[in-house]
Formats: sequence, structure tokens, C-alpha cells
Amino acid sequence: MKRKPPAVSVLQHGLLSLMCVIALFPLYWMLNSSFKNESDIFKSDFLPPSPILSNYSYAFEQMPILRMMFNSFGVSILMTALQLFTGLLAAYALVRWRFRGQTLIFTLLSLTWLIPFQSIMIPNYVLVNDMGMNETLMGIVLPFAVSTFAILSLYQSFQSFPKVLIEAACIDGQSDFGILTRLILPNIKSSVASLGIILFINGWNEYLWPMLITKKMENAPLQIGLKLFVNSDSNMWGSLMAATTVSCLPILIIYLLLRRQIVDSFVRFGIK
Amino acid sequence: MSQAIENAYAPPLAGKPPVALDRPRARSKALRMLKPWLYLLPALVLLGIWMYRPLLYTFYLAFHKWSMVPGTEPLYVGLDNFSRLLQNKSFADSIGNTVFYTVLLLPFSIVIPLALAAVTHHMEGRMKNVYRALFFIPMILAPVSVSAIWRWLFHPSGGLVNVALMKLGFIDAPIAYFSDPSFAKWIILLITGWKMIGFSTIMFSAALTGINSEYYEAASQDGAGSMRQFWRITVPLMSPMIIFMLTMSILFSSQWTFAYIDILTTGGPYGTSTNVYYEMYKFAFSNLNAGFSSAASLLFFVVFGVISLALNSLSRRFSFYDN
Repeated sequence: MKRKPPAVSVLQHGLLSLMCVIALFPLYWMLNSSFKNESDIFKSDFLPPSPILSNYSYAFEQMPILRMMFNSFGVSILMTALQLFTGLLAAYALVRWRFRGQTLIFTLLSLTWLIPFQSIMIPNYVLVNDMGMNETLMGIVLPFAVSTFAILSLYQSFQSFPKVLIEAACIDGQSDFGILTRLILPNIKSSVASLGIILFINGWNEYLWPMLITKKMENAPLQIGLKLFVNSDSNMWGSLMAATTVSCLPILIIYLLLRRQIVDSFVRFGIK
Repeated sequence: MSQAIENAYAPPLAGKPPVALDRPRARSKALRMLKPWLYLLPALVLLGIWMYRPLLYTFYLAFHKWSMVPGTEPLYVGLDNFSRLLQNKSFADSIGNTVFYTVLLLPFSIVIPLALAAVTHHMEGRMKNVYRALFFIPMILAPVSVSAIWRWLFHPSGGLVNVALMKLGFIDAPIAYFSDPSFAKWIILLITGWKMIGFSTIMFSAALTGINSEYYEAASQDGAGSMRQFWRITVPLMSPMIIFMLTMSILFSSQWTFAYIDILTTGGPYGTSTNVYYEMYKFAFSNLNAGFSSAASLLFFVVFGVISLALNSLSRRFSFYDN
């Protein structure tokens, strides 16, 4: 391949660097503000002139941050586990057997893409209320225990698995469940893990439903608690940015550790 | 246990003669018919309870009046909700805003990312992965965190945007962006676009690397310029991805803006930044008018259904696949 003239290369790097600055600047400003004291916060210094940590301690005093973080992890992990479990079983059934009604199942699954959450929120809210699960983690998790996005993504990964091997295992007398857990899963575990990461991030960032279900900070995931804090203390910008920094940290740390895999899994599976 | 016995209960694959005798054979056939459904059961039950039951119930509520108070029954009102909905001014405004968000998000989700991906195509080396990793960060951040940060950047007195604009002399007095009708919806659009642009760029870049570079070499030997190559090779071969992103963007833009509207402006000032989903939410949980909200849901379920069917047939007609 022929080499590009340097001007083109400079243009390319320039454009991409500009995009990076646009993407990251708000985060940088959040971090910067979270260390500024009350007299510096409204000035536009690019580094805090006298960095302080009291914004963080104030945020931790005002909100049960650790409790909310525990809630967030609980909700996201439970959602991911349930969605993977129901998704694996369903995707396996769809790949493994040809049966009557399969087209109907695919139609039912694809149709859920068209159902906005706002058109099912009232009945679901009423149901969770009737079950007495308001203000509970299970109340947040249950409506998200199955994800058609997970089922269809897993279906796609399962299809790449050679059918011949399944047939061979079947002739060897492996049970159906054994074929799923001992043959297919170990071979596609990296796709399952990638999907799991997306599901976890989706769970962590879920907004409308947890907001409807939890009204008290100690029952709320971090995101909802942060919203309550934003609306209550609108002039403590230093500690608000400290709280926001803390709310971004878990996802950013996960991202830092697994960035290649996360980017690839989003590219492979898309978003919901 | 010998394998032969186990084999009798294992479901034979289609076309393979079963190894069992007549009576167990009938049983195993019934079992075989049932098996896929057994595996599908958890997913189907949950989808039934949390997706399709509520959807039908929403359809039912659309023709009723109900304030969601436990112990009260929905009251049948026929098409009343729909006729009042179509006369409701705030709902009419929200439709206009929904179109605004949907159309103006397209530059952020399609046009700019496609151009960026094309310009940076064939970039080599480590830097490419660094850019990819950084572009992605806005996408994975939670809407509430993102809203908090932007709210601070656009703060009416001490926010960086106002401070910088005043220092540079563009404005004399700080602007209260979120309570100014001429700014609020633009800021919400900007935030949604900011979150989307890096992600779309990566999606398009990934699709571009799938295009065989021989097409470009052949085209440039035939004397096609880079603009011509873009329109004649890149766009047609990328069309599946373009239509995919188009569908996502159109179907979900109203969902993506929802959280920012709720946190930053609650639809205001004077309903200038609201969208249809936010109005549905307000009808239900502020006005406690479940029927009204359900009628709006039903209406837009149909509207978005028609749009996505149209996009689906578009993708069948206009997608060129590189075999």
C-alpha cells in the first residue's frame, strides 16, 4: 500500500485528538472542580490552586454513598446474571432444535425492540407495588430479568459454534444440558463475558425504572441517589462533582482494566 | 451405565433413526417436542409478565380513566383519552420537540461519525487503539453523572461556559441555559450528541475495516478522486451499518434524551425541551392520569412501529452486501 503524505496524517491525528478532547474535557473538569475550595470553584483555573479533599468527605457525610454503591453493584450483578441465565437457555433452545412456533418466538423477541419502557411502566409499577417490592433491589431487578438483546446476541454467538460437534456429543450420549454447559459454553465463554460486560454497564446506568421504585437514598442505586443530591444541594458544586466522580469511578475502573474487550463487545453486539 | 441406554433417552437429531422401541419412542417424541420449550420457559414467562402483559394492559388503560390509586377500578371512557390528547397543547409541542431531537441527532450519530471514520480510515499503529478507547468513555457513563457534569459546565453564573464566553467577550451577561427557551433543548441535544458521536465513529470504523481495500486501489487506478470513492464505494458498502445506526438513532433518540430532560430541565422552560416519552411519564406520575399516558404510549407505539417497518424494508432494498 502506498504511504500517505504527512499532511493527511497530521490532519487525521488532529481530528481524532480534537474528538478525544471533546470526549474527555467534561470529565477532566469534573475532577478538577471536585478538588477546589469554595472560593476557587467559580474561577476557571485549570488546576485547583489549593487542592482540598473536604468536598469528598462532605459528599460521604451527606449521602450513604457506600450503601448506594452496594445497591448499584447488587442490581447490576443480579440483572447481568439473570439475563445471561435466561438468555443462555433460550438461545440454546433456538439454536439446538428446529420446532414448531420458532418463527413466532423470533417475532415475539424482535417485537420487544419496539416496546418503549414508557409504554409498559405503569402496569409494571402497579405490579411491583402490589407485590410489595417497592424500595427493594428485587423490585428493580425483576422486570429486567430477561433481555431480548441478550438472547439474540447469544443466539448469534451460538450459531458460530460448529453443529457437527453438537451432533457428535449427542451421539456420544451427552445430555442436552451437558452439551450446553460442558461443550458450548467453554468454547464461547469470551463472547458471553463480553456480553456480560455490556449488560452490567446497562444495569449500572439504568435510570427511569430504579427512579420509580426507590424514593429513599439508602435503597437507591448510586445514580438515583446522585440525582436526589443534585436536586437538593444545588450550590455545593465542589461536593456534587466529588459525588459525581465517585459515581463514575467503578465503571471507569472496569473500563480501564478491560477496555479492549469492552470496545470490541460493543462493536460486536451494538447497544440497546 | 452403558451408552446404549442413555442414548435411548437422548433426543435423536432430525433424520437419524431413533434407537428405541415403539412405546418409549412415542414418549421420547413428546419429550423432544417439549424440550425446546422447557429451555425457553424462563425467558418466555418473564417476557410475558414484564413485557407483553403490561403492553396489553396499557392498551386496555388507553380506553379508561384511572389515577392508579390502589383499590380503585379503571373507568371506561372510550376514545375520550385520544381526542383530548390530540387537543392537548403540551403534547403537540412535545411531538415537535421529538422530531427536533430525532432529526438533529442524526448529524451526531451518522454524518459526522461517518466522515470521521472515512477520513481516519487506514490509520495504522498504536494510536488508533488509544483513540478508540478514549472515544468510548462518554458512551459508558451513566446519564445522571453526565447530566451533573454538564449542569455544572453550563451553570448560570459560575459555569465554565459562561465564564469563558464572558472572558472572550462573546457575551456581556451570563446566560441561564437551562431556563432559557432558546437554549434548553439545544443543550440537551448537545449532550446526547456528545455521548453518541464517539460510539458511532467506532461502529463505522469497524465496518470500514471490513471493506476490501482492493476496491479503493482499483478505483484510484481508474482515476477516481477521494470524494468519488467515498460516495461510490464507502457509502454503498457501508449501507447495512448506516441503516442499522439510522434505525437505532431514530428509534432510541427519544429514550436517550429522556434522562437529560428529567434531570436538567424537567421538560421546561414552558415545555420547550420535553419529548413525547417525557410527557407520557409526566401524565402518569405527575398528573396521575394513567389512561392519558397509555393513550399516548399506544399512539407512539404505532408511530414508531411504522417507522421501523419502513426502515426495515429500506434496509432490504438498499443494502449492498460485499460477497
